[in-house]
Amino acid sequence: MGAIFQYFKNILVGFWNLILGLSVTTKYFLSMKTNTQQYPEEKLPLPARSRSMIKLIYDGDKDQFNCVACMMCAKACPNSCIKLEGVRDAGGKRRMTTFKLDFSTCIFCGYCVEACGFDALTFVSEEYENSVYKRGSLLQDEQAMKWVRPAHLAPKPEEPAKVETSAPAAAGA
Amino acid sequence: MTGEKIIQTIAAFIHQILGAAGLSGIIFIIDPVLCAVAMFGFISLFVMFLVWMERKVSAHMQSRIGPNRVGIFGLLQTVADAVKLTIKEDVKPIHRDVIPYTIAPILAFVATFAGMVVIPFDKGIVVQDLNIGLLYIIAITSFTVIAILSAGWSSNNKFALLGGFRSAAQIVSYEVPLVLSLVPIIMTTGTLRLGGIVDYQAGHRWFIFSQQAIAFFIFITAATAEANRAPFDIPEAESELIGGFHTEYSGVKFAMFFLGEYIAVIVSSAVAVTVFLGGWLPLPFLGFLHLPGFVWFMAKLVFVIYLIMAFRWTFPRLRVDQLMDFGWKVLIPIAILNVLATGFVILLLEGGV
Repeated sequence: MGAIFQYFKNILVGFWNLILGLSVTTKYFLSMKTNTQQYPEEKLPLPARSRSMIKLIYDGDKDQFNCVACMMCAKACPNSCIKLEGVRDAGGKRRMTTFKLDFSTCIFCGYCVEACGFDALTFVSEEYENSVYKRGSLLQDEQAMKWVRPAHLAPKPEEPAKVETSAPAAAGA
Repeated sequence: MTGEKIIQTIAAFIHQILGAAGLSGIIFIIDPVLCAVAMFGFISLFVMFLVWMERKVSAHMQSRIGPNRVGIFGLLQTVADAVKLTIKEDVKPIHRDVIPYTIAPILAFVATFAGMVVIPFDKGIVVQDLNIGLLYIIAITSFTVIAILSAGWSSNNKFALLGGFRSAAQIVSYEVPLVLSLVPIIMTTGTLRLGGIVDYQAGHRWFIFSQQAIAFFIFITAATAEANRAPFDIPEAESELIGGFHTEYSGVKFAMFFLGEYIAVIVSSAVAVTVFLGGWLPLPFLGFLHLPGFVWFMAKLVFVIYLIMAFRWTFPRLRVDQLMDFGWKVLIPIAILNVLATGFVILLLEGGV
């Protein structure tokens, strides 16, 4: 008798569980909520620090690139895909004249950006459709990589470090 | 104007044209051919709609969008897919068994398509209201097992063969509860004619609102298994058998298997609507709307097909032994109990014994 009771109980419990499962999917179906981003029409805003494309920062106020052709990026590049030349101008300051980055061998490791001490190279997040129709288009020069930093991305001036005068005394006490 | 009147007017018009052309002698040939063409056109369009609907239903159940590129709401996506399938190269394995390999997709399509003959879409809108309609449907749709088995055997591919064997085991097992779930209806109504069963429900309650709701659920479950659809899709289990019995089929032949599967869904849903949901009868509390009967029929049909689709996208696939257990240890005993109980009730009510 107990076995028969258990048999029917199993069937009823299983049936109830199936109905619960159906109710979940039907709820999702009726809610019509979608999480799909339709890419070519809707573009995903990438995080500001994402490594999408390497750009040369152009200073609009001084009408020149920030780069001084110190060659640190070219030395840091593991694939030697950066070629650049510079000259010394009338004021005795070095200025970059040609800059070439071959994106067909670039691996976006970011060493050049890290090595740059003059805030001249940077990763940008907004330009991430990097495919081209010809292989030659991957070799970009300074005009193709020219990028003016928008105001909201400008680096915040660092607070000067506070000189702590009384701290060692307080620590000593 | 009811659906019956429309059909009669069209038929009279065609007969008049044929008579004027001096062809009234071959009306008995022209009529079935016209019926078959009309039914094939309807079924093809409806299957295309169902494929689109299945993709939309599954998409929205998973918070996706589904097809929305070709045509408005992606409605033409299935048309594009059908065109692509028909112009595709027909890749054939060299060591196939030619005759069964060729016949199998045709049989899979024809066996299920022939079931549409006795489905009454409205009072009077039926190709041939056979007095053994229910028996005819059960008998003719069982041919799919031969198609699937011969497809699996003749492909000369072990995955296809496994799929065919699994399908044979499954369809033969689930045929029993399918028939047993319909037996109480036949006992109650005393007819095998589908139109007669609907007429009986017009005078009484629909069978789903009576004790036969159990039979409805048994029928839907067994019909899902008969149509080889998930969660009972072990004959073509993609993760285990590549494609199962249609692994070696491509192009038009694959399209015919695909079409056959969807027509099997349509036929079994149509039988469920006719037998349990009152066919072309309006919903009890919406009878004042005076919509034509086939609108009600199609609405119920789409609802039942939605149920079967929801099964597919909700439940995980059964293992082979679980499938057999479920069929033989749950569905068949319940169906037999239902038959016994129905017989007992009929005896009590009619005061027999």
